Amino acid sequence: MKFSFFHLMPYPYLPDDFDSAYDSSALTYPNANFDPKLGAALYSRYLDELEYADTLGFDGIAVNEHHQSAYGLMPSPNIMAAALTRRTSQARIMVLGNAIGIRGNPLRVAEEIAMLDLLSGGRVDSGFVRGIGWEYFAHSVNPTRSRARFDEAHDLIIRAWTSEELFSWYGENYEYRYVNIWPRPIQTPHPPVYIPGAGSTETMKFCAAHRYTYMSVYAPTRIVRRWFDGYRQAEADLGRAPDPEKIAFSVPVYVADTDERAHAEARPALEWLYHRGLKQTPQMVTPPGYMSPGSLRGVLMSGMHGFRSSSYEDLLAAGQAVVGSPASVAARLRELYDELGGFGQLIGLFAIGPSTHEQVTRSAELFAAEVMPELRPLGVAAGASPA
Amino acid sequence: MPSDVPAEEYLELAGGRVHVLRGGSGEPVLFLHAAGGAGTWSEFHRLLADAGFDVIAPDHPGFAKSDDFPLVEAMDDLVYHYLDVLDALGLERVHLVGASFGGWIAAELAVAASHRLRSLVLMSAPGLRLPGHPVPDIFLMPPERLAETMFHGPPPAAPEGAAPGIDAVLAAYRDSTALARFCWAPYLSNPKLERRLHRIGAPTLVVAPSDDRFIPVAHARRYAELIPGARYTEVADSGHAMYVERPAEFAAVVTSFLHMPEPATSGANR
Repeated sequence: MKFSFFHLMPYPYLPDDFDSAYDSSALTYPNANFDPKLGAALYSRYLDELEYADTLGFDGIAVNEHHQSAYGLMPSPNIMAAALTRRTSQARIMVLGNAIGIRGNPLRVAEEIAMLDLLSGGRVDSGFVRGIGWEYFAHSVNPTRSRARFDEAHDLIIRAWTSEELFSWYGENYEYRYVNIWPRPIQTPHPPVYIPGAGSTETMKFCAAHRYTYMSVYAPTRIVRRWFDGYRQAEADLGRAPDPEKIAFSVPVYVADTDERAHAEARPALEWLYHRGLKQTPQMVTPPGYMSPGSLRGVLMSGMHGFRSSSYEDLLAAGQAVVGSPASVAARLRELYDELGGFGQLIGLFAIGPSTHEQVTRSAELFAAEVMPELRPLGVAAGASPA
Repeated sequence: MPSDVPAEEYLELAGGRVHVLRGGSGEPVLFLHAAGGAGTWSEFHRLLADAGFDVIAPDHPGFAKSDDFPLVEAMDDLVYHYLDVLDALGLERVHLVGASFGGWIAAELAVAASHRLRSLVLMSAPGLRLPGHPVPDIFLMPPERLAETMFHGPPPAAPEGAAPGIDAVLAAYRDSTALARFCWAPYLSNPKLERRLHRIGAPTLVVAPSDDRFIPVAHARRYAELIPGARYTEVADSGHAMYVERPAEFAAVVTSFLHMPEPATSGANR
């Protein structure tokens, strides 16, 4: 099992009347509510936490991209990754990921990831995401083109990384007469790719075909199980035994010395994350054309609903957060490992909503010292030795 | 043809099938529906047909029972699409009536091929970029606010009972996806349209509801100002859901215009 410390870099200081006054923490939530001085202090604190996770022995430290939102303060994950390259030495630097569905110029992503790969000495992992619904409003990109733009940007970036000859690109969405990037990445054939999945069978097949890591987004265990099974089936359809390390389970994790203390501290943090940070209208979640008819049908039939109707207890029961003492967290993650049919990577969100720096670092310390060793042997392909 | 029960037919084009409802007899009227009006034959359609017209109401690409036509990607493609529709119908010249989104298509079609039109009627069409008179974001509106925005009076009550089934949700999502394909950005407008409107040579009526909370009436007035010789009229006590909220009044305004004798200098010279 490999473990990463994932950061969303939330802006936790929502006003007291947030629940009644605003229908979302994103897109239309006025940035008058953002205090740049507090924001600067958060950046400094959050980078400290990621750097600390590197020293604790996490295999990866992860950042991601969100726009116009208190949920996550990283419009450019590559800038945060760049800051990490010079202050860390062991962990993979995971950009999970660049939202290539909404980028105007995907070649820029190829260039920036190549830069990060050099700066980090080949430690960068490159996630590609479509960008979530509200971001198609935020960046004025037509969501009906989302899938096509994502696919084409992906193909272009991979070719730009791997080609040692100048080439021209004529696509439906992008045209470049001269593709000839400097620098090229240091990892061969290119940095490992991560793709989040939320039920689309196209994504499962895509990940399997390219041997990319398929990572879950926050959803109840019974649904994530279906996604992981879909990915495993896609691997099997290609005549391969699924490699557990290519399946990554994402989940918020909070560890404290005792169960009692952990729950007391995690409850407000997780309620912030799921009820405020992720508060959005249905129109923001699913702009027109963002989902294929088949995927939308799947979501409707699965009975998934908004996070706001899930209580803290519901979230724990459904495996959408793991909280407790080190022993309880290890036991619960073993349970989830079995319920999900196995996974080889755990992408833990340790800095949850308004958690304090002391809480986050303590949680990460306990996890690294007491949970990781317990789970390390899980999720390793037969015949491979544990990392 | 009877006007209360329309004939249903499909036009076979190279890119797919176009679903068409058709009723009445007389001079042909091509009616281009609003974003929310695909696949329906409403009281307004019937009144137009009853007034002595052959009313032809196709569903736009990707809407209701028409095929997706994935290569019809943007407004310029829609114009060629409707020229294909006219050819497939075997109609050299028609009265063209467009409501809301359909009105924008009608204006663009008239700019490109005014000679195919006997006349043009724009019913509160978007399409112009008027930053001083912004159009609210239809894609971000929750359903209850959408209803309030579209109607001047109280909106019709939502049907009682269970929430819409999965197929209904998927059908609505397909219509909205088709709309977004053509108008996400630039939002419901073509910045070049204003400077092209002078090309319209067909007799034109621009009609707006008095209390339009979706497309501000300044848009209709601007169309009337820029289309040579256009007439302008408003229908009182109506919101943007024009032919749903005030079908008789809108039908009366449109049919009386269509019945006016065609001026000798009409659009045929363009």
